[in-house]
Amino acid sequence: MSENKYVSVYQQKRHRKNVFIIITIVVLILLMLMISMNTGFIRLTPGELFRTLFGMGTEKQQLILFEFRLPRIVISILVGMALAVSGAILQGVSRNALADPGILGINAGAGLAVMLFISFFPSTTATPVFFLPFLAFVGAGVTAVLIYVLSYKRDEGISPIRLLLTGVAIAAGISAAMIVLTLRLSPENYQFVAVWMAGSIWGSNWKFVIALLPWILILLPIAFAKSRVLNTLNLGEMPATGLGLAIERERLILLAVAVGLAGASVSVSGGIGFIGLIAPHLARQLVGAKHQYLIPTAALVGSLLLITADTIGRWIIEPSEVPAGIVVAVIGAPYFLYLLAKSKA
Amino acid sequence: MSVLTVDQVAVGYANAVIIDGLSVEIPAGKITTIIGPNGCGKSTLLKAVARILKTQSGTVFLDGRAIQQLSTKEVAKKMAILPQSAEAPPGLTIFELVSYGRFPHQRGFGTLKQEDLKHIHWAIEVTGLSELKDRPVEALSGGQRQRVWIAMALAQDTDILVLDEPTTYLDLAHQLDILLLLKKLNEEEGKTIVMVLHDLNHASRFSHYMIAMKDGEVVTEGKPEKVMTHTNLQAVFDINAFLAECPFSQHPICLSYQLNKETDCLSSFSGYSNAR
Amino acid sequence: MSASVKESVEMKKVYKGSRPIMATFIMIGGMIGLLFAIGLSISFGAADIELATVWSSVFHFQPELTSHQIIQEIRLPRVLGAALVGACFAVAGSIMQGMTRNPLADSGLLGLNAGAAFMLAICFAFFPGLPYMYIILFSFLGAAVGAGLVYGVGSVAKGGLTPMRLVLAGAAVSALLAALSEGIAIHFRIGQDLAFWYAGGVSGTKWEHLQIMTPWIVVAIAGAIVLSKSITLLSLGDEVAIGLGQRTGVIKFFGALIVLVLAGAAVSVVGAVGFVGLIVPHLTRFLVGNDYRWIVPCSAILGSLLVVLADFAARMVNPPYETPIGALIALLGVPFFLYLARKGGKEL
Repeated sequence: MSENKYVSVYQQKRHRKNVFIIITIVVLILLMLMISMNTGFIRLTPGELFRTLFGMGTEKQQLILFEFRLPRIVISILVGMALAVSGAILQGVSRNALADPGILGINAGAGLAVMLFISFFPSTTATPVFFLPFLAFVGAGVTAVLIYVLSYKRDEGISPIRLLLTGVAIAAGISAAMIVLTLRLSPENYQFVAVWMAGSIWGSNWKFVIALLPWILILLPIAFAKSRVLNTLNLGEMPATGLGLAIERERLILLAVAVGLAGASVSVSGGIGFIGLIAPHLARQLVGAKHQYLIPTAALVGSLLLITADTIGRWIIEPSEVPAGIVVAVIGAPYFLYLLAKSKA
Repeated sequence: MSVLTVDQVAVGYANAVIIDGLSVEIPAGKITTIIGPNGCGKSTLLKAVARILKTQSGTVFLDGRAIQQLSTKEVAKKMAILPQSAEAPPGLTIFELVSYGRFPHQRGFGTLKQEDLKHIHWAIEVTGLSELKDRPVEALSGGQRQRVWIAMALAQDTDILVLDEPTTYLDLAHQLDILLLLKKLNEEEGKTIVMVLHDLNHASRFSHYMIAMKDGEVVTEGKPEKVMTHTNLQAVFDINAFLAECPFSQHPICLSYQLNKETDCLSSFSGYSNAR
Repeated sequence: MSASVKESVEMKKVYKGSRPIMATFIMIGGMIGLLFAIGLSISFGAADIELATVWSSVFHFQPELTSHQIIQEIRLPRVLGAALVGACFAVAGSIMQGMTRNPLADSGLLGLNAGAAFMLAICFAFFPGLPYMYIILFSFLGAAVGAGLVYGVGSVAKGGLTPMRLVLAGAAVSALLAALSEGIAIHFRIGQDLAFWYAGGVSGTKWEHLQIMTPWIVVAIAGAIVLSKSITLLSLGDEVAIGLGQRTGVIKFFGALIVLVLAGAAVSVVGAVGFVGLIVPHLTRFLVGNDYRWIVPCSAILGSLLVVLADFAARMVNPPYETPIGALIALLGVPFFLYLARKGGKEL
């Protein structure tokens, strides 16, 4: 889009500014990556870090970096992206600024599945680490389908407001069921569920990365490719129809993408809901409402937030950790409030 | 030139049929205005034509093909719609919003091609928004905002333009401004324009063809001279109109009017609230 | 359509939509139902006591009888507590919904629930064994801090406290406080204690609490009724309300204050049984129309009735254990709310 008489200087500048913002966030993520790799009980000097990265460290350093820290970092990057994009899609589809993956009952559904499992099969053997994410994913999916079916009306299809209301109601019902279950749990099991629900990157294992990766690799590009559809949907039902958008079909596809992304990430990271709410808002402040920019920016902001939160969470009360979900809310919410107070009307 | 025909259409909401078996033909290349009291079904008819409401029976034909059978994108290449109250999401510039009008012509990711840019540029130019095109939409006045939405519909590059009360909430000058723009588009670009208007005089002054509706049925249709008569207005609006000739268009206009039963003023007022 | 026509049309719609006869019926019928439910709830429980005994224990109290003691010391305060709490949540919820024009609004939106929960977590973590009375006071303080934050952030911004901003600020403040209390709960391993506290519902209510709570609640509900006409106007939108000569800022401030007192008191006693505040106003509006002069008193009565019955059910479902009252209310409320969401869809 360089030499074109129809494109004003302003649009070129805006485009360049947005690209610059995106690159800046990428740089910040890389920076956080270095810091994060160096955060933990055993310190690595930058030199050691590089040597280890290129396979020249001691065996112990190799083990720490490649088996413990790196998978976890990769997961937080992926999960941050997935949740942020899921939130951006939901906000676009519903035209509601409060929509996030949590509102589709995804976190609640996953939580209930995990809690049910733990309360009926209290850790008899070594905790089935690989079974839980799968279970959480199923829980999230079932809840999403339930909400969709309940808010579907034959003549009118899905209206966004009805979807949100149904989501809120189902989430409330699930929370109530979880209160009952909570009381039956032994203190150790309760602690496990509580940490899980608060959202922490506990799946520090390459197998989780491999399980998560296909979802991200397939769904993120779809979301990105649907930017144009999201732009149109965001105008409202009538204008979107007028522009020739098959609203029902596109909504269904986009919701499925959002559920897939959120479900996959919730399964390995627990309920980090706030990222899905806040990352799209921050991205919108940075690059505007056009989804071609918004989606990638939101993805990167989500990554940056989560990797930062996870790093802080590991570092702040060493050797114990604070779940990343809590850190996200503690740094994200005040900033969000600041933006809110600054905004006009 | 695309032709729009409504054949024996029944349409309504959940359980209420608003229009039952209505047929009209929209003349191609002309400005057609639908008038009628609140709740007569004119917006409903427009929504049915625009495929926003599904018809319960009957068919809307676009170029002789049933609109329901065409893909919605195909329809959007021939017919653009301007809803009554459209609200842009915050943070969009005018250029961006207008560029969304290219949606039905785009594929995939939506990078703007030379062809797209040409249409967007033209739409912004013709609506007189060139100076403002990099401003955020929410910073505009009501009249300018309406122009932006019209520009978006123009960027869509269709033969037919459907507008639901495009002059609502605008002051006198801005109302005329929008209507003159539509007239220009009709004359210079040959666009078929279908709209709902509340102002009878505007309707008469700018239309080639008028459709007067009441209770979901067409009471009368034809040239403004045929529709804007004392008897018709009595039948459609329950008013006793004093008609004169518009000095600019030579079409009839309503200079002033009385309610048929002045005493019954409150009951027609509650009819007003029913329409909402 | 000119603005003034729109206003009067909307006002007419509101008044035409309200159903005073239905409302009067609900108030009278609801009162009778409430008294009946209270009697029922007092007489059944771990030990069944005849209604006659209930009567005599209230009006001819004989301290030497065990049954009289159970009623006077345990059941009566508990049931009255439930009634008060229900009225509080319901009225607070209806005011919130009217003020924000958002059907999803309830007192939780002002950051009250999260604030109270946060203080409760602090009490449990740092001052274990704090007397019940102080815990309640601290919870109330927490609710006030949460509401203050939300309200403050919303008002500081240019353009003032728009409903949208209130909703967003509420969500953010709630997320922040919830995360902090989750963090505390996990670190000090008190999450389950907190859950037990909430699950206890109104069971721990004592006469002293009622003595402290009641005057505040009565004043606040009276205030809500006084304010209800203004809330009706506010529910038509800020512009209409200002156009009709209302000082919206003042009304919103007092509205928020009343919500704080009502919901703060209720949350500190039973925890976030927020669903009452969400569904009862919807139900009431469905029954009596859109005039808040009727909605406020009717939802107070219906809210009381709901919580008293839920508390009764909580004791009866699985005796001698108590089912968490929040879970029961959600069980009743969720299907109803789903029905509303399906039916109303657009207006909701």
